[in-house]
Amino acid sequence: MNPKAANTAKPAASAVTPKDKDAARQCLIRADKFLKDSDFENARQEVAKAQKLDPTNAYAYAFLDRIAYFEEQKKKSSPPEATKPAAPTAETPKAETSKPEVPKAAPAPPKAQPQPAKAAPPPRTEPPKPAPVPPPEKSTVPPTVKKPESPPAQQKPIEEKQVPQKPESAPQKEDQPVPPKPPVPKQKPDTMIEAARPVIAEVLASRMKNPPEGPKASPPGIAELLQEVSKEAQQHAPTVPRSDIDAKLEEMRRQIEMLTNALEQERRVREEMNQQKLKGAINQFRAALETAWKNGAPKDEENNRLKRMGLDLGIPEDVVHTVTREVKLDMYSKAVKEVVAKQKLIRNSSRTLEWLRNVYQVSLDEYLEYESKFLMDLVADQYKGTILLVAADEKISVETGQKLKSMGYAVVTATSPENALEKIEKINPHFILCDMEFPAGNLSGIKFLHVLRANSKFNYTPFILMCGAGDMSQLESSELRPTEGYIQKPFDIDALGAEMNKKLMAFRQYLSSI
Amino acid sequence: MSKVVLLAEDDEDNRDLVQFVLMRSKMDIKLVLAENGEEAVELAKKHAPSLILMDMQMPVMDGWTAVPILKADEQTKDIPVIAFTAQTKAEDRARTQEIGCVEHYAKPMDPEELLTLIQKYLNKE
Repeated sequence: MNPKAANTAKPAASAVTPKDKDAARQCLIRADKFLKDSDFENARQEVAKAQKLDPTNAYAYAFLDRIAYFEEQKKKSSPPEATKPAAPTAETPKAETSKPEVPKAAPAPPKAQPQPAKAAPPPRTEPPKPAPVPPPEKSTVPPTVKKPESPPAQQKPIEEKQVPQKPESAPQKEDQPVPPKPPVPKQKPDTMIEAARPVIAEVLASRMKNPPEGPKASPPGIAELLQEVSKEAQQHAPTVPRSDIDAKLEEMRRQIEMLTNALEQERRVREEMNQQKLKGAINQFRAALETAWKNGAPKDEENNRLKRMGLDLGIPEDVVHTVTREVKLDMYSKAVKEVVAKQKLIRNSSRTLEWLRNVYQVSLDEYLEYESKFLMDLVADQYKGTILLVAADEKISVETGQKLKSMGYAVVTATSPENALEKIEKINPHFILCDMEFPAGNLSGIKFLHVLRANSKFNYTPFILMCGAGDMSQLESSELRPTEGYIQKPFDIDALGAEMNKKLMAFRQYLSSI
Repeated sequence: MSKVVLLAEDDEDNRDLVQFVLMRSKMDIKLVLAENGEEAVELAKKHAPSLILMDMQMPVMDGWTAVPILKADEQTKDIPVIAFTAQTKAEDRARTQEIGCVEHYAKPMDPEELLTLIQKYLNKE
């Protein structure tokens, strides 16, 4: 339109108050509404008001161009093109910020950076374009291209594009309240994208003109579009400004990011499906195992068949092994519980449990790992007393502890005599089982015994030292009380039980003698 | 083909336990259950078991009565009968032998021991 008006108005820019600016925007919004209703006269009036209120608002001039364009379109074809201009309403504020760059046909600013501040006097030399940039098609599209043909989805981005192409861009920048800080680095990506728009729009336009004539042709695929854009870029390589290339790269990077995300999501879905599939296979395998293991270990032949079955179901070998072990122990524990429930009908529980271990091929390690769990219920009501088990060797502590628990004792462990002395007052043990040797810096088993002898509360608590072969002679010659004793490692739990019984008897005698 | 073992036992827990133990043996055994001596005699005729485990104290008809009946019957007289009882006195042992039992097994049971005994008589067959 009359860019000069804008130019002349420029000096007054500083006089425009934010209030006027806002009022001008409101006028433009109303104008947009009128434009949608094809009420061009009122639209023009609103734009004129806007110009009056804020002569620096470059968008007003673009608006007048748009009104002219729509009017022309309206004349040409009767179908109302109603919705097209809808975008400006929402865009208005946004467009203003992103506008500054661009001009494709115009002399083009050095680097897509807005130069509002310095653009002051000679801004727009209105490009010789006849049709002043229609909204949906981008600026380069000849006026013959009918807007209604482009699907609505495309309209918005294109519309955004065309605005910046107008030479008004420079004054638009002035519209910003704070002119001195245009090259904010944050704006750069936007700037680049803006710069890319003309190229993309060009591709779009050529698509619309040439290949798929279908008026309502579906929007081009993003990948397709990108391809064309890059082709185009190659063709115009020497002429395409660097900012355009950057913008394209930025756009492509965004596309790649989108694709990567999509792939990642797909990978996750596939992974989940595989997991579900594996879960189903494992359940099927487990059911077969449970049937086979119900009454004990199946024969080798059956075991091999089951293993093959697991592998055929796509279950990894280590998982096959683990599931088999789990089922075996599960079936074994069920059998143990059944036996425990009928304990009174059984002559010897421990022999029966041993028989069951053989039936289910449960190893000693597995037994130690799980047996106490099965037996805790059984021994809960057979509490025989509390044992303080003092050993630095964790293996002794765990294995002996488990066995003592299965015998009906509550076991408290300590890793050294010092540690035991800290606990002893709290637990008041009925029996102390202590290793002979401890790491340097700790009391030995013998010294611990001497410390306890000096303690009036625990000096007669039954005490057994677990010693090595080398300690035997020393212990044999030492003067142990009847409630004190020793057992050579490694020892059988029954032997330990027998030794403990002896010491408990001696303790009873001691008590009765008091 | 599985061998048939007949268990005559009035106590359900004991029946279950024997069944539990036999199912976990590697032997191919079919267990037939009777709740008293009368039923045992009937089922022995019907299934011709390879072995009978007979509780001696049962309602309706006890083992002391049922075993002589089995031994008197042509069809069942050769079936080995193990007295499966809580009566452990020497005279009880002697008496079970008198009425034709091949063994006297005292309850409570030991699974492994019981299986060995059963196996012994099934292998003899």
